[in-house]
Amino acid sequence: MDKKQNKAAAFFKSKYFGYIIFGALLSLLPLATQAGVLKTSMIGIVGGTIIYSIVAQGLNINLGFAGLTSLGTAGFMGLGAYISAFLTENMGWAWEASLIVSIVICVLLGLVVGLISLRVEGLYLGIITLCIAEIFRKTFEELDPITGGYAGKKASFPTIFFGGWKLNQAQNYVLLAIIMVIMMILTYNLVHGQIGRALHAMRGSTSAAQAMGISLFKYRLMAFALSTGYAALGGVLYVHFFRFAYPSTWTLTLSLNIVAMVVIGGSRTIFGPFLGAVIVYSLQDLVIKRIPVIGDLNGISYIISGVLIILVVMFYPKGVINFFSQIKEKAGKSKAAAPAAVPAAQTESGKEENADE
Amino acid sequence: MSEAVLLDDEVLKIDNLSMHFGGLKAVDQLSFTIKEKEIFGLIGPNGAGKTTVFNCITQFYKPTAGNVVFRNNKGEVQSLIGVKVHDIIRKGLVRTFQNVELIPELSLIDNVMVGAHIEFKAGLVSQFLKLPGARREEKAIREKAERALAFMGIGDLKDQLAGGQPYGVRKKVEIARTLMCDPKLIILDEPAAGLNDTETLQLADNIRKIRDEYNCTILLVEHDMRLVMSICDRICAISFGKFLACGTPAEIQANAQVQEAYLGEKEAEAEKDMKEEKSPLEKIKDNLLGKEN
Repeated sequence: MDKKQNKAAAFFKSKYFGYIIFGALLSLLPLATQAGVLKTSMIGIVGGTIIYSIVAQGLNINLGFAGLTSLGTAGFMGLGAYISAFLTENMGWAWEASLIVSIVICVLLGLVVGLISLRVEGLYLGIITLCIAEIFRKTFEELDPITGGYAGKKASFPTIFFGGWKLNQAQNYVLLAIIMVIMMILTYNLVHGQIGRALHAMRGSTSAAQAMGISLFKYRLMAFALSTGYAALGGVLYVHFFRFAYPSTWTLTLSLNIVAMVVIGGSRTIFGPFLGAVIVYSLQDLVIKRIPVIGDLNGISYIISGVLIILVVMFYPKGVINFFSQIKEKAGKSKAAAPAAVPAAQTESGKEENADE
Repeated sequence: MSEAVLLDDEVLKIDNLSMHFGGLKAVDQLSFTIKEKEIFGLIGPNGAGKTTVFNCITQFYKPTAGNVVFRNNKGEVQSLIGVKVHDIIRKGLVRTFQNVELIPELSLIDNVMVGAHIEFKAGLVSQFLKLPGARREEKAIREKAERALAFMGIGDLKDQLAGGQPYGVRKKVEIARTLMCDPKLIILDEPAAGLNDTETLQLADNIRKIRDEYNCTILLVEHDMRLVMSICDRICAISFGKFLACGTPAEIQANAQVQEAYLGEKEAEAEKDMKEEKSPLEKIKDNLLGKEN
């Protein structure tokens, strides 16, 4: 009995519990829209944020932990989306089956791409992955029978339990939240274990990593393939949530946005990519476009996003997620200012959380 | 390439090792052997090629010629030439770096656990889902890392980030990390560089303790002559990549060739000292050299 209680107590204190609470709070959004508190369009915006946060989480493993630059994320995301749309719409596959098969195909392809491209590092890797993503995008445009070409490919909301339950948009949104929480937990496990440490070591010093028995190639390939898997998952979720995929979605812009999400939100953290997705993807729709006058100017939100990226990189290289801890650190250094600054930071963080929901 | 043969009590043999970078002969036909449970020092003036020898042993460099023969942790004698850099540790040979290479974003204990990388058997899926197998392994290795940190006398700092630690602590962490793979031979690259006198004494104790308790052989490159002379069983002196002498600290100190290569400059200056007044710069230089003696 006692042991069970201890276990329960440990669970409530663990990170897992935090992720689950976070997911549960996000899942309340459809209730708020039904009650008329928030607009229904919010579901689409926050749902998109969740999807991008999953993709960004994958890139976080690659870019944040392993230190590998990849600009091909959009290509693999699109690939996952088209494969799943084709399998469910044209072949009549169950959603679960198409989800798994899409991810497996993308990961295998990611392994092949990694085998070729991971012999180079840094900018060169970025350029190779960019080229591969462009090849994918061109293929999406031309491969009419499967991708629908320029006209786009239609898909429908997932029917889960192998055809047992057809979801509507709100239910699909909750499914997204659940999958995000699962991915958060899995990522947490991964980066706090042997593989996570190996990726850290590789980023820090390749020679020290090798001396400790870490095969650079193996772990780079693993990080690359994993991020491909996350991107494919994001793509599958995307196509069944927005029910459409256009070739013009899977461009360099999207890849760069995902890089921005990781950097701005805070690389090497679990919540960072979500925060980054909020700032890069949904801040324009949620906040900036609602500000009178400024919001009506076309394209202003892009400028604001760009300026934000520059500011974060210059002043908060650890990302927005570390914003408050950094402020607290600074406040702690100047002792006189500390009592005043800490409560202020806390109330602000409270506001930020509200904005997330 | 000569045959991979070792006498019963030998653990590592450098056999006619040469490493050329273009026209520069960083290591030139160097040979020496290290016996089991020995603390073996490799010394030489700056640029003598000591670190190059280390890099050739650990296969960071591919030697131009010669052989490196090692008795691995299974007791088999094999040549290390051609073994992949990341497989060297699996043979029971582990090293530290001249400029401590830790991961600043991780805690000390996590850094030490990196040293047990090769001991993990759990696969990707098992680690993803934190299955009982992966959990058990992680726990066992964490405990082992705690022991290694405690052994180095910094067990109470285990949860602190490596980034903010003073140099002396980081050096200890790096040594603790080498202990994680149950090594047969530990190679220390200038372990005393940057340490103060107390820390250096502590280090000497620790090196002996490691040899005795972890039952391994230690090869070290060091500039601090007091440390080398006090803890090494045998020393090999090299200069410009060439073998000078090999023997006990007393033999090395008495060796005329070594004196000429290593201390000659100082003796010449001492003679000069008798004749004329020294400039302040020379005095500082002398102090530095004096410390090494």
